[in-house]
Amino acid sequence: MTDFSFLTDDKLVEALLMEVAGLLRGLIDRDEGGSIDLRGLPLSPSCIETLDRCLGQGEISVVLDAAGRSEIRETSLPGVWWTKHADGAGRVIALLIEVAVTPAILRADLADMKRGLDRMPALLAKTAGRTS
Amino acid sequence: MESAETLGEVLGRRGFGRRSLLKFAIAMTSSLALPPALAPVMAANLAKAKRRSVIWLSFQECTGCLETLLRSSSPSIEALIFDFVSLDYQESLMAAAGADAERTLREAVAANKGEYLLAIDGSIPVKDGGVYSMTGGRSNLGMLSEIAADAKAVLAIGTCAAYGGIPKAYPNPTGAAGVEDLISGKPIVNIPGCPPVPEVLSGVLVHFISFGHLPELDDRKRPLAYFGTTIHDQCYRRPFYDQGKFAKSFDDEGARQGWCLFELGCKGPVTHNACASLKWNGGTSFPIESGHGCIGCSEPDFWDAGSFYTSLAGGSSAGWRNTGIALGVGVAGGLAAALSGRRKST
Amino acid sequence: MTLLDFARGPGLQGAWLVMVGGTAWRIAGILLLRQRLHLAAPRIGFAGRVRGGLATVFTRFVPRRTFWPRIAVSVGLSSTFHLGLAVIVLGGAPHIQVIHQFFWLTWPSLPKGLVVIVSGLTLASMIALLFRRIYHPVLRLLSTTDDYLSWLLVFLPVLTGILLSGETIASYRTLLTLHILSVELMMVWLPFGKLLHVKLAFYSRAAMGMNFARKGAAT
Ligand code: SF4
Repeated sequence: MTDFSFLTDDKLVEALLMEVAGLLRGLIDRDEGGSIDLRGLPLSPSCIETLDRCLGQGEISVVLDAAGRSEIRETSLPGVWWTKHADGAGRVIALLIEVAVTPAILRADLADMKRGLDRMPALLAKTAGRTS
Repeated sequence: MESAETLGEVLGRRGFGRRSLLKFAIAMTSSLALPPALAPVMAANLAKAKRRSVIWLSFQECTGCLETLLRSSSPSIEALIFDFVSLDYQESLMAAAGADAERTLREAVAANKGEYLLAIDGSIPVKDGGVYSMTGGRSNLGMLSEIAADAKAVLAIGTCAAYGGIPKAYPNPTGAAGVEDLISGKPIVNIPGCPPVPEVLSGVLVHFISFGHLPELDDRKRPLAYFGTTIHDQCYRRPFYDQGKFAKSFDDEGARQGWCLFELGCKGPVTHNACASLKWNGGTSFPIESGHGCIGCSEPDFWDAGSFYTSLAGGSSAGWRNTGIALGVGVAGGLAAALSGRRKST
Repeated sequence: MTLLDFARGPGLQGAWLVMVGGTAWRIAGILLLRQRLHLAAPRIGFAGRVRGGLATVFTRFVPRRTFWPRIAVSVGLSSTFHLGLAVIVLGGAPHIQVIHQFFWLTWPSLPKGLVVIVSGLTLASMIALLFRRIYHPVLRLLSTTDDYLSWLLVFLPVLTGILLSGETIASYRTLLTLHILSVELMMVWLPFGKLLHVKLAFYSRAAMGMNFARKGAAT
């Protein structure tokens, strides 16, 4: 178990961890998680670092390339994700703690899937051309 | 003009999947200080929305506002905003000129009646019938009232459009005024700044397109999410202010140590804007990071608030001459009073 | 022009001119009053009288021992509040800045925290003195509108100053505006009421001291 005692003087980190706990309980009991927008809070870089450090690293890390790079890591608490979105220039545009079974952005979208399906005939034709 | 395609389709055609849109919505809800839970809603609404017609009129201005907004476009994800609106009239950017331009304006208004957003930069001169700024023989005031009448909402971009700005500075020879002083009965949002922070305009536009109304405004009609705090509230030099460590000149030890610029005239404590958090030039820095105090450019009448280099604690002096006159008048008055007193007592 | 711009510009200039002109008027008037003729020859020479006058300015800061038991509390409170005002005005960084801006004089400031504590003490002693004025039967009888107005116009700058330093109940702009305006009100009223004792206290003590010295009484 992670020892949080060294943080007791850092009230902000403590409050955020309490909120994560609340969201996680909501996810378990009522199947509704939520997110915390870390950039919308008056947190110093060192405070964010401390928070990151104490949430730790879990089993999954995903890199997304959608209009810029995004990194989504599961923390040592399953269901709690550390999400960082950057734009095309590498500038961070959002930093969140997400509490969810899977972060919504990872799920394939219906419209996108349909567009993919529409591309299948062309793809098949190309493959057929190569094998024959 | 009005296109049948939804934004989701437009973006899909251009190779942006819904993930990009969701990511954009996450960034925007964060920027607008909305709860993160609204991001999927915003993304879904944007995907369904149509491009929104924007008519942009420039009045007494320097084009600095437009320059800033255009320069902000490059690789940032916020550039997506340019896919969400259709800039149907903007004199500096469009190819049409003269009678063609006037026709474009008429057509844009007719095609989007009641639905377009009207963006204004520059103040409006009202003195002498508004003769000091005319386009195609029409005064700014006339154009504003006519085109605002059919607008869904009016965006006053920059300090001039919001409060009159530099054209309104003393002695205000043209009788310049801001939009909100001249237009009533329309939703108006002020995005002051000389120039304004581009991300604020993106935020307001996205909010309007996805939710159909303006974001929450403060008592000066500014979007609260960006103007709710002062520069001073978010300033990284704030600890020095609290400790009483002030730079006394621009090249002293304190200035080199990055101490607070209050005594060098910083207006950060009374200036509401988002410079300290959003910063400028793609998040590079903001003026205080370059060692210059905030000049308060997003506040009404900032040009008339005395020297940029006089601290907020100080003010303008009455001058030695006037002080001398006051002294003289006082002594003379005392003399007269004393003499009349003596006469009475004898 | 915003209210703050007014306060830092024309408001400040006007208040300064009224204060300077009004003070000149009052003091010139007093100095030119007909002097009562002294019929007796002075006991000591002119130099001695000047010394006596100057000495009285300072000796009167400390009351005679016989009076102590009766006035210790009020003297303590008023000294706290007067010294407090001096510390605030001469020690607070923004105040030194104003003085520097107008007169080119400057000196090191006191830490903000200390000035705030002193302001709190000043405020508390002023409130205590007001209660004393209201509940003390004789003092109440002697008090005029001038006393209460002068008290209020000194109290407001101290109060708004404390609020400004904490930047809590309202925005910095609002508090700064109120603070500057309250100081300006005080400046405008200063020559015309009892607040002029900032100057007259010294004149009257000196005049009394000279008179006493002339008569050979203790100064
Ligand atoms: S530099 Fe300006 S905004 Fe920053 S702390 Fe000092 S006074 Fe406030």
